[in-house]
Parts: sequence; structure tokens; C-alpha cells
Amino acid sequence: MINNKEYYTDLFSTGVPEMEQLIETALEDGGDYADLYFENTSYRDLYLRDGKVSSGGFHVDFGVGIRVLKGEKTGYAYSESTDMASLQNAAKAAAAISRGIKAESEPKPTFPFKGKPNPAADRYPIVVDWRGCTMDSFVPVLTKLESLIRAKESRVVKVMAMLSTSVSDVMMFNSHLEFKYETRPMGTLAVSVVFNNGRSTQNNHCSRSFRMGAEMLTDELLEELASQVTGKLDDRFEAVRPKGGKMPVVMGAGASGILLHEAMGHAFEADFNRKGQSIFSDKMGTRVCREGITIVDDGTLRSNRGSLNFDDEGVPAQRTTMVEDGILTSYLHDRVSAGYYNVSPTGNGRRESFRYNPIPRMRATYMESGNDDPKDIVASVKKGIYVDEFANGQVKIGEGDFTFYVKHGYLIENGHLTRPVKDINIIGNGPKALADIVAVGNDSCVDNGAWTCGKEQSVPVMCGIPTVLVNNLTVGGE
Amino acid sequence: MKKIPWSITPEEMAIARECIDKALKAGASQVRVTINKSLMDLFMFLNGELDKVTHSGDRSMVLNIFADGRFGTFSTNRLSMADLDDFILKAVETVKMLSEDPCRKLPSQERVAKDALTGLEMGNYDPAYAEMDSARRLEIAHGATNFAKAKPEGFSLISEEMEYSDSIYDTYVIDSEGTCCRHIESSFEIGCECTIEDAEGHKYSGYWWDSSSHFDKLSTADCCSKALGRAAAQIGPKGHRGGKFNMVVENEVASRLINPVLNALNGYSLQQQNSFMVDSLGKRLFPEGFTIMDMPREVGANGARMFDSEGVATVNTPIIEDGKVARYFINTYISGKMEIEPTIEDSTRASIMPWIKEGAVPEGFSAKDMIKKLGKGIFVTGFNGGNCNSATGDFSYGVEGYAFSRGRITNPVRGMVITGNFLELWANLYAAGCDARRSMSKIIPSLAFENVDFSA
Repeated sequence: MINNKEYYTDLFSTGVPEMEQLIETALEDGGDYADLYFENTSYRDLYLRDGKVSSGGFHVDFGVGIRVLKGEKTGYAYSESTDMASLQNAAKAAAAISRGIKAESEPKPTFPFKGKPNPAADRYPIVVDWRGCTMDSFVPVLTKLESLIRAKESRVVKVMAMLSTSVSDVMMFNSHLEFKYETRPMGTLAVSVVFNNGRSTQNNHCSRSFRMGAEMLTDELLEELASQVTGKLDDRFEAVRPKGGKMPVVMGAGASGILLHEAMGHAFEADFNRKGQSIFSDKMGTRVCREGITIVDDGTLRSNRGSLNFDDEGVPAQRTTMVEDGILTSYLHDRVSAGYYNVSPTGNGRRESFRYNPIPRMRATYMESGNDDPKDIVASVKKGIYVDEFANGQVKIGEGDFTFYVKHGYLIENGHLTRPVKDINIIGNGPKALADIVAVGNDSCVDNGAWTCGKEQSVPVMCGIPTVLVNNLTVGGE
Repeated sequence: MKKIPWSITPEEMAIARECIDKALKAGASQVRVTINKSLMDLFMFLNGELDKVTHSGDRSMVLNIFADGRFGTFSTNRLSMADLDDFILKAVETVKMLSEDPCRKLPSQERVAKDALTGLEMGNYDPAYAEMDSARRLEIAHGATNFAKAKPEGFSLISEEMEYSDSIYDTYVIDSEGTCCRHIESSFEIGCECTIEDAEGHKYSGYWWDSSSHFDKLSTADCCSKALGRAAAQIGPKGHRGGKFNMVVENEVASRLINPVLNALNGYSLQQQNSFMVDSLGKRLFPEGFTIMDMPREVGANGARMFDSEGVATVNTPIIEDGKVARYFINTYISGKMEIEPTIEDSTRASIMPWIKEGAVPEGFSAKDMIKKLGKGIFVTGFNGGNCNSATGDFSYGVEGYAFSRGRITNPVRGMVITGNFLELWANLYAAGCDARRSMSKIIPSLAFENVDFSA
């Protein structure tokens, strides 16, 4: 949502002359660039446990981050108050980065992004503002969700449901005199269920998260969550650990995109490349996978958890094609890395809150659909694994090695899904796995779970992928 | 002693008391207020040059409000009384909208800490913190870089990213029943990550860090050279077949194997039946003689603390004793829900005692000695992804490290996975060393296990 400019300047008790004065202070020791990031976030949470919505609360976080750049070097400080004296102190602390550093002959160019925020182009208009709703209006949402779950499944032992919401007013101003402001909503509904079949216990968790107001809480959403969390339960109880080894792995469409995020996406973030740490550091313009594969990072999907009107440096969000038809075409840039590479920033400068300086981060990262029928992809595998639920992925950026925990999947035997499998790891190497993709389904979709990326700071992201066959990965099993 | 920088002021304490009065007046039956303040300065060097400076001061207040048998948690960093007046009224109103839960109440006064009055009792504050200024911090950080001095042989140093930071944390907890506790802690930390490239163009990274609440115990001189050494030691990994092997886990990463057990002993997991330790109290699930202590009251130690978030007094006590489960972590709320005696909210400073399957533990028993004793197996120095099923204890983790044979390390290995069940893994414990790093808040030494399933 984008309100008028006065809404934000009143909220933060400041105006353009005061912000110009702060920028002047921040640059007085010789910095090349400075920016201000004002934030006022209201969080709420509500929990259902043991059949009762018996705990919840709200939380307020308010402050201003001030950043100074000297070349690629960063000075950062923040204030939890908008009184001018506190802000001046923070500006002086951030300016410290410039002291004692010789001026470069020519400061790195930075691209201006002038122009007013445009409410007509808003990617997350709020229909029902979370801040205008009382907590009791959400109690029936959680109790109904529990009822739907218990109605679908008799083996339920415990249900824990949570609604968490946030609304952030943000305002940005920088030494190019760019002035951006907007209000970012987020709603997340999550449920964890413990099941027992009389012989053993299983648990499952699922969530949905959107940049939306309270209008996201529809009956359809509750039904979808209840169905997903109780789905495949017989398989979960029967699932076994398969024999491990190297084998073809079919990634199911949607949530398997987390592998794309972790194993490839991070290595495309320009800060890792600027420092020479990424395994893709010297691969720009080269083929990294077969023709027909296109990977994008998209900040423009309406109401998507990873979307933005502007990134946290005021750069308009965009759809960035990282790999086009198999060729590496772009890293993900903030202003710092864009200056280093002398390219335009891609709207990926993101931060957890005013307490953090922005760094290159993903938004909604997905692979576009290919031409293969998902059924044909499974049918083409004689012996392998099909996975449709991952958790706890990790990657080593330099080496490219990744490990992913498979929550749920199936053995593939002679082209058919047979026994359910669980609690195994898939391990591989990002560039190699990318190169080993031999089939791409025509069913790409993003997963609307509450994905959060934890690179130094936590930011909301989204991931997606079509059904994909990776020819050769290590599956850790019995 | 110099004034403690950024510590909670008498005015802020008065605001906390006023918040309790106002919440009670607005209809709350019980109230707890926690003020947290922290200040951190960080200097980061990239390849020997200053790359980033940050200065972070935080101040927040958390209110736990109990009203009409109902409960809610509220927090804000806007601490002027004008802002708080409206905040408290809305908070109490909100609590009254929630469902009744008779188990929600403050801890009884017999359980709360009475000896945490100044915040300095645990000896976690170093007066040297007050002497720090930007010039000193810069000097420390600059002195710790190794980029210009490093002499890589057989590989090139791609990047050295080194951070020095120091911080102060001050926590003040009061409630409407008379609880009043304070904890002040300084912290000095250094960490370095080196990325290298071998002759074939393969990249490897190594990380090392140190941390202490006292500056004179922080080891800054060798941090970057250790990170570089850890990266270089990984050059030339060889494939390794899968199978059942002995596993030695380095002290640096061994906490990965005890955290799921501690989580499973937490009351929230137990009450939700989402724990593989349900009904385990008093049962021998670990080898005879094996003990894990909670040691929160070791003065001056990292992680030491006199009270939990409810203000309940911590105590040095066994978690696992002689192989038997001796303690669940039960707060006031879960105590009511499970109808058992409360203990403490969580383990504060879990400490694994030295132990070996046969004979007495030799003095200074370390990972190196375990490798010698076991002869053949895998020495794990890093975990890469993986998970534990909290309901069943089944786990699968990516690991990296070194193969060892005839008691000596032979070659690096990577891309391996261990799988199993935590109860079975711990039943197969071979040894726990005497080499825990004191820089950690948990005292976890190197560990050795027999018959661990590796896939590769």
C-alpha cells in the first residue's frame, strides 16, 4: 500500500530539510553516498494450543537506519528515536567508515531512481488493514482451522496453529535526493499437527504467507491448509529410509524450489561474487546448464511474500533473469555491488529491519516451465527418488556443496512412484546439479509457504520450480 | 569502576514499575516487565582493509500481562510514558479478548532468584568494555587480520573476511509479585572466514572464531590463521564408501548432536507429544556413568546466568545422570498443563562430563586421542544441512571432515551423510572428551560414537 507522502513524514516527525541535513552530516567525513531508512512496524501474533486461542500479543518496532558508503565500504548505525539529536549521532557513527580512507580518484557511479511512488502500480494494496482489526476477530479463524483438521483426520493428537501479521511503514531518502515510501503488509497462517496411529507418532507442519491484509483469511485458505497438513498421512506413517547412493532425483513442482534458492540462488548474489567467494564468480556469460532452462528472481508478483514495490534502498523491484536459456546473464545486485560491477542495481538490496544495512538478497526465485510432461519425467527413471517436501537446506557458497533434508518423497521403481520415503538427505554440488538437470516439466509454480532466508539477516522470500529431473545426486539413506 | 555504558538507567527502571502499576489499574491481575538494552560495535575487515563499521544500540520493553485467567505478550521499543500509556491500555484490552487458560500465571516467589540484584553477581561484565573506543576497536581488528602476512603454499587466498565486535547486554526483570532480577554481560567476539582456491580451481572455505565475556580471555592473534588453516586442510578431498563406521565429532561442532536431545526435554515439546523423550524421566537412555550437567552458576563463564526469562532461579544440577534422564525443562505454564513440578524454562549451560566406555578418562582426553583409540573411522569437523524428526528422533545430517585409519588422519572427505536415531546414537557413545571450548555457552567436548551409518 502506498499512502501520501505526508502520512510518512508525519509518522516519522521529519521532513525533507531535516533529512537533507542528516545526509550532510553522514557525508561530512568524505563518504560517496548516504541513505536513510525509516521504519515503523506493528507485529501481531495469536496462538491456538490445546483447542484454545489462549495467547497472543502485539509488538512495535520503530527506528531509522543510516548508511554511508565509501566505494564498496559501509558504515552503518541506527537510532530507535527520530529526535534530531539521536539521528545526528547515528549519522556521525555511520560516517566513521570514511575517516582515514583516501578518496578514490573517481567515485563509483550510482544509478539514480527518481520519481514518486505510484499507488496505481502498488503490488500489495491492503483491503483490510491488520492494524484496524481487533484480535478477537481472528480467534474464529484459528478454531475453524483446528476443526477442519480434526474433521479430516482421526489420528490427530495435538494441533498448534499460529497467525502472525505485520504492517511496516517505510520511508527512504538518499544523497541523490530520491524519496520513496510505502506500507508493506504480511500475513502468515501456520499449523503444526502431531498424529499417532497407535503404534508411532508423526508430525507435520505447513503454512501460507502473503503480502496482504486480513482479506487473505478466506475459507478456501483454511481448507487448503487443513488438507495439506493432513495429506499423505498414511504415507508418512509407512515411509521408510531407502538405501542410499547415487541416483537420479526428480524434484516435485513448487516447494522443491528451495533447492534452487539455496544451491544456486545464493551463489548468484553479487556480494559473494564481488568478494570472489562464489563458485559462479567467474562464470558470467557462460553456459551453466542446458538450453531451455531459465531461472529468475522476481520481485513483481502481486501479493507474493517475496515481492516489493521498491527494495530497501529505494530501487524499484523488478523481474531479474539470472539464467536465460542456460546462460548466466545477471547476478543479484544492491547498490554496492552494482557500483563495483558498473551495472544497474536489480532491486535486490534488502534488509531485515532498520537495524541492518541492505545486502543482495533473493525475492521470489523460481525456474520457468520447460516442455516436458511431469508424468513422462517420472516414467523415464528406472530407479531413483521423487521428492516433494524439503526442509533445512544448507549450502557452502565457495564450494557449492549443498545438503537438503527430505521430509517426504517416494521411491521411483521402473518409472512408477512406489514406497514412500522420509528423513533422508540429498547432497550435491550446485553448479554440477544445475548442469545435471536433464528434464524440465511444464508445471512451474511458486510455493506460498512462509519461506524465510537467513543469510546474515532474516528476510521473507518465495521459491518455486517445475518438476525437474537431476541425473545424478547422492541420496543418504540406510 | 567506570560507569557501565548503555546500561539500564534508574529512570528506565522507574518506567518499568510504572508500567506494572498502569497495567494493574487497567485490569491486569499480574504483570511482568522485562527491559532489554544492548549496544554493539563491529569492525569488519575484508582482505586486510576496513570494509564495514556498524554501531547498534537497542532498547526494548516486554510486558507479559495476565488478566481474568488470560495471557498475552507485548513489546515495544518506544519507551516514552506517553507512548506506553496507550500501549498498555490496548495490551490489557487485547488479553481480555483471548480464551481463558488457568495455567497462565507468574512463578511463585519461592522459585524466583533473590540474589541477582545488581546484574554483576555472575561476573560476566568486564570493566575493560567501558574503556573501548573506536580507535581501540580499530586497532584490535586491524591487528587480527592476517591477509598481508599469509603465505599460502599450493593454493591462493581468495578472501579473508574478519569481524571484531564487542557488546553489552543488560536485562532487568520485575513483576507484580515482587520479582526483581538483573543480568549484565559484556561480550567480545572475533570471527574469520577464509576462502581459498587450489591449483585445479576448487574453492574451500574455513572459519574460526572466539568469544568471551572478558577481553583478556579473547584470543585474537591466531583467529585468521586458524581459519586459513582449516580451509587449506580441506584441499584434495577423496571419495569414501558408505557403511557403518566409528565417528569422532570435533568439539567445535559437537553441540549439533546434543541440541535435539535438549529440545526434546523441553516442556513445550513434551506437552505437545512432539518429542522423542516423552515419558523418559528416570529412564536410562544413555550409557551407564554418562552425565550431562546444567551449570548456569559458574561465575564468569560464558552463558552463566542466575535466572530464566520468568525470573526463576537457576541451579547447577544434572540433566542426564549416570545415563538416566534427570530433568525436564518445565516452566510455570507447562507445569500447570502437565501437572508436574516446575523446574526451569530451558537448559542454560549444558555441560557434558568426560566419559569413556571402558576404563578411566585420561587427563586432557581430546579428539586426537579418540582417533588414536578408535583406529579407523570418520572425524567430523562440520555439519552441512540436515534435520531431526522431533517426534521420533530420526535424523539425517550432511557432514564433512577427515577419514582416519590406524589412529591417524588420512584425507579430507566431503559430501557424506550420517543417518540414524538419536536414542540409538547416544546408546552407541564411545567417549566424551575433556576438550570443551570455554568460548561456547554450552560446554560440549569432542564426542566419539561407534557404528554410525554413513552414506557417500
